Amino acid sequence: MSTSLFKLSRKKFMRAPQLEAKLAIKIIMALVVLYFGSAILIGGIVIYPAISETALDKDAISVINSVLVLIFIFEIIIRYFLQQLPVTEIKSFLLLSIPKKRIIKNVLLRSLVSIYNALPILFYLPISINMYLDDYPLKQAIVWWVSVTAFSLCLNFISFLANKNNKALAGFVVIVVLLYTCERYFETELLRAAGRFFDAVLTQPLWVAVPLSTLVLFYLITFRFLKNNLNLEGALGSKKEIARAGRYDFLDVFGSNALFLKNDLRLILRNVRPRNIVLMSFLFLFYGLIFYTTPQPQFGLVFASIFISGGFLLTYGNYVPAWDSEYYSFLMCQNISYKKYLDSKFRLMAFAVITSTVLSLPYLYFGLDVYLMILAGAFFNIGLGTWITLYGGMLNKQPLQLNVKAKAFENTQAFSGKQFLLILPKMVLPVLFFIIPATLLGSEEELNATAGLIGLGGSGILGLIFKNQILNLMVKLFAKDKHEMLKAFTQK
Amino acid sequence: MITLQNLTKSYEDTTVLSIDQLEIPKGQCFGLVGNNGAGKTTLFSLLLDLIKTSTGEIVSNGIEVAKSEDWKSFTSAFIDDSFLIGYLTPEEYFYFVGELRGINKEAVDSFLEIYKDFFNDEILDQKKYLRDFSKGNQKKVGLIATFLGSPNVIILDEPFANLDPTTQIRLKQLIKKETESREITLLISSHDLNHVTDVCNRIVLLERGSVIMDKETTSKTLQELEAYFSA
Repeated sequence: MSTSLFKLSRKKFMRAPQLEAKLAIKIIMALVVLYFGSAILIGGIVIYPAISETALDKDAISVINSVLVLIFIFEIIIRYFLQQLPVTEIKSFLLLSIPKKRIIKNVLLRSLVSIYNALPILFYLPISINMYLDDYPLKQAIVWWVSVTAFSLCLNFISFLANKNNKALAGFVVIVVLLYTCERYFETELLRAAGRFFDAVLTQPLWVAVPLSTLVLFYLITFRFLKNNLNLEGALGSKKEIARAGRYDFLDVFGSNALFLKNDLRLILRNVRPRNIVLMSFLFLFYGLIFYTTPQPQFGLVFASIFISGGFLLTYGNYVPAWDSEYYSFLMCQNISYKKYLDSKFRLMAFAVITSTVLSLPYLYFGLDVYLMILAGAFFNIGLGTWITLYGGMLNKQPLQLNVKAKAFENTQAFSGKQFLLILPKMVLPVLFFIIPATLLGSEEELNATAGLIGLGGSGILGLIFKNQILNLMVKLFAKDKHEMLKAFTQK
Repeated sequence: MITLQNLTKSYEDTTVLSIDQLEIPKGQCFGLVGNNGAGKTTLFSLLLDLIKTSTGEIVSNGIEVAKSEDWKSFTSAFIDDSFLIGYLTPEEYFYFVGELRGINKEAVDSFLEIYKDFFNDEILDQKKYLRDFSKGNQKKVGLIATFLGSPNVIILDEPFANLDPTTQIRLKQLIKKETESREITLLISSHDLNHVTDVCNRIVLLERGSVIMDKETTSKTLQELEAYFSA
């Protein structure tokens, strides 16, 4: 069955519309995977010797053991948001004469062959080899690797069980926060206790039974869960939510554009994928904590300000017309001009930038200069960043399924090289707008920050002044592309 | 109301639609029939400028649809379920469409009151998003939404398909009532010869992209169509 499944997925790929585009995406994604993979591999190779050299008084492996829990927590978060489990593809096999047990076994085993399970080989294996080279007996090195791998694979099944369940995520976050506060303020050492467990595995190899039996247990739980739920109402069906009647009347202050803002708000709140992406865009608000706490060159601060106010543009904004792809032909027939449509999208993004800017007020703590830079960056994002984003979004000719989780490495919908190139001006232009006036008006030793701020903010204000001209230009491009976009969006 | 001139649509070397001349006068209920691949949906998509014409032009109420977007203000359509917004409740969808056509909430509410029977208590106040409704119920929402704001041109692709028998009959009554009460140019395609001859006063039969029959509906039309399709 595995081979026929493989054949099917190969056909699905080869016969897909826009094969060239997809091929290009696959190649780019392969490079991305290669990059992360080799980064993790190198990390795995060097971490052990590096710790041995720096922490002479401690055993390197026990230092690693003490942070393993953190790695697991990080792993499960990544899995929750990105790992797509091969459950739904099974739907068509349910009616064939294949025993259900075999189907489930296949699903579960196939879920192990995933890029997310490469960590044990790429990261833990080199560590274990290093241990062996560092005079640990072979048996201990193997036992250590087996226990860590077993836990890592448990996470694979846990993410199966928690799939799409927000309550599970919330519970998980609460537990982690509780553990952290216990650790931090009450010195309970619960997290460190986990590290000690792996230390214990080294001294008493029989402890390996614990991770192995946990793995078997989770396999069985997942197996039972799927067996009971492998029907159209359970794991395979889309969950029917109770509709929340959000009226969002407070948005009426935006006048005739409120209609679209409300709709976009509903789109974000009621669909898995945009919801996750917008949650991600909130993380951009915290970029400043990295940038402002370490010494940075001036242009680094410009980056930070663009990131902080423009998180929404960089994540959600990139797919802007594509979010509407499911009902695009409907929109194109409704009594709404292209101009009004694009304008509403502009306003949505401007609204998000303003919200982020207000939310970033706490950065005043780092000084007025820092916040002024954020403000200047916000002006750029509203005046020009929005349009660059929208243009990039229009180049994207891949439909988006709203209520489906994003598949990070296995299948990136809606991502093209051109679009990737358009992220560059969003990063480079603001730096230029800042650096050029700051250098011209500054002395040889010091940049003139005020001139830079005026340059950066001014570019955005210019964008706002010429908004109508830019909008008209966008409308022309949009109308020219309309049919091509419709064609692409109706192909699934 | 709508004029087609030298209209063709081809993909590479296959021509899927070719109509020299076709005029649909104001207030006509126009029925389009034909087997799969005859070009019905293609024709409707062209009328809505969802696909580009290869040659020729379509003029609706004096506006060339490929050149200007002003036809949108007096045209509404329901082609398939991509005309619904899955994450809205039916009410929200009606309000959205209503607001686009300049009708406020209260007016939409009283509009929906008229169609209460048609919905059969399965649509409104269900606390469900459209994506969670059955195909038939989704279709009810999409069909009724096309009548919002009294558009002059309404285009419905296969309106009877997927509907339960009761609703099919109610839809026929509804269409008759609407076309009698005001001047609507209504374009319907259907595989159901009974229904389409019942409601439409003109039937056009397409075969491989060409018009092979174009007649006012009489009592004999149904028989003629049945004869054609059983041949």
